[in-house]
Amino acid sequence: MAAELESSLELSFTGSGTVPGGGLPPARSRIFKIIVIGDSNVGKTCLTYRFCAGRFPQRTEATIGVDFRERAVTIDGERIKIQLWDTAGQERFRKSMVQHYYRNVHAVVFVYDMTNLASFHSLPSWIEECKQHLLTNDIPRILVGNKCDLRNAIQVPTDLAQKFADTHSMPLFETSAKNPNDNDHVEAIFMTLAHKLKSHKPLMLSQPPDRDQIHIKPEPKPAMTCWC
Amino acid sequence: MARRSPPRNGVGGHDFDSKKKRKVAEIYQALNSDPIDVAALRRMAISEGGLLTDEIRCKVWPKLLSVNTDDLPPLPAGKELREDNKDYQQVLLDVRRSLRRFPPGMPDDQREGLQEELIDIILHVLKRNPQLHYYQGYHDIVVTFLLVVGDRLATALVEKLSTHHLRDFMDPTMDNTKHILNYLMPIIDQVNPEVHDFMQSAEVGTIFALSWLITWFGHVLSDFRHVVRLYDFFLACHPLMPIYFAAVIVLYREQEVLDCECDMASVHHLLSQIPQDLPYETLISRAGDLFVQFPPSELAREAAQQQAERTAASTFKDFELASVQQRPDTVLRQRFRERLRGEERTKSILTKPRTNRFVKLAVMGLTVALGAAALAVVKSALEWAPKFELQIFP
Repeated sequence: MAAELESSLELSFTGSGTVPGGGLPPARSRIFKIIVIGDSNVGKTCLTYRFCAGRFPQRTEATIGVDFRERAVTIDGERIKIQLWDTAGQERFRKSMVQHYYRNVHAVVFVYDMTNLASFHSLPSWIEECKQHLLTNDIPRILVGNKCDLRNAIQVPTDLAQKFADTHSMPLFETSAKNPNDNDHVEAIFMTLAHKLKSHKPLMLSQPPDRDQIHIKPEPKPAMTCWC
Repeated sequence: MARRSPPRNGVGGHDFDSKKKRKVAEIYQALNSDPIDVAALRRMAISEGGLLTDEIRCKVWPKLLSVNTDDLPPLPAGKELREDNKDYQQVLLDVRRSLRRFPPGMPDDQREGLQEELIDIILHVLKRNPQLHYYQGYHDIVVTFLLVVGDRLATALVEKLSTHHLRDFMDPTMDNTKHILNYLMPIIDQVNPEVHDFMQSAEVGTIFALSWLITWFGHVLSDFRHVVRLYDFFLACHPLMPIYFAAVIVLYREQEVLDCECDMASVHHLLSQIPQDLPYETLISRAGDLFVQFPPSELAREAAQQQAERTAASTFKDFELASVQQRPDTVLRQRFRERLRGEERTKSILTKPRTNRFVKLAVMGLTVALGAAALAVVKSALEWAPKFELQIFP
């Protein structure tokens, strides 16, 4: 059987290379739920796969609905599960299907394709939509320009993207899920976000002893948040 | 299914071959009778092994869809199709990425040629039916037809399918698709309330089954033989059958589900990873069984109840009416039409204890269950549902 299934990208449970000793995180590790959105074909699946499995997927297909990937990391000695919800890019899916997955999201990653100006121009509508789904305004959001390895095809200049990011108070990262020389960059982006969440946000425990209760653990504000 | 593999289920290789030979003969007999015995072809498509070979599928699939193969229109040049088509870019992106749908080992240039054909078929159907909207996953369905019957016949079959079985998925929005997904949990509830309740408390939703439904499992199964076997089944059945099959898969994995951590991510993750070694014939038979026991009319009620949405009891009788209920949305639209009249009835339904909640799934036997499921749609190819003007989920 030709069993190589790309939508089974979720090697993620085993792909958590940074966990010393491997294995599953302890039951009560915190969960950071991050939703990844943006136009079709900007590389959402590749980015999330790269972070969770540690490599660029050979072939990816259109994401239908929502895919989920997860990785356990250790930050300052604390084990944390990072859940990435990878969404379909086609507009019809996000209108009625994806909203369920905005629930309890801790951070949002907007992705555009640096070689496709249209995907950059779609960002305002993604941002608007995100606002409608999220109850609070203070959820960390970042902007990722993908495919920076295609140097000759770049259509979205950095200064334009930076200006846009500034307007919307988001940090901007330009990266490539594919570029092998950029090995640590995708990693760094998500880890930066995780650090930010860890230091900043009260988060739910993954296995509250009582399912009806939500355990809030207030965290001290960081002295300084450095993004780029 | 490894059709040529020897002993399975205690049936010796020889028996299996002779059984297969007998089935092939029966299929040709149905094809050659005058008029063609479509009811028999439906039963063949559903029963063990389905239509067996692609050669047979080329002959039978058009009959199941009531497509006349004598005067297939010529395909227009691809170039014209690609100009000014609002869906072209999306189709292009999806088809270019759909490498896995083609047989492994196929030379690149051959595959690329088929991908171009695939784009043209999709655009052609969309152009001729401006009411239809492309969705990601549609290409997974079309490629199956292309690979089995070739581009010209595939175009005709896909067009028929798109205006019937797939019609709801091709609305401007996916609201109707979402409503069809709402049938999933009530089916699970009927068979295994524990699994149902577990999934409800995990708030897993039903999106894990979205690609199953709208691609007829073409997107998630890697073995093409499994895909075409399921297509035999779905083409012969009620348009809601894929949702019954989805439920059967979840139920087949009940222990895994219950062993899972009870949260959205874990359960979604588990269920969206479809095992590749499912016992397809058994599951097909179970899905037929469930369809017979818990027909869509009952589920319409449950689905509405569960979603706490506007409810309207559907009065349509599945067996008699399934023949004119070929589009899944018909069920929904029927519900809507009944809404005003149905308010009183709804009250009584909402307060009625769910007496059949603990009814065990009866083992009705393959022939009985599948025969009945086939019966439910026997006349359908001749009597396609009329177009409903009523759009209920704006």
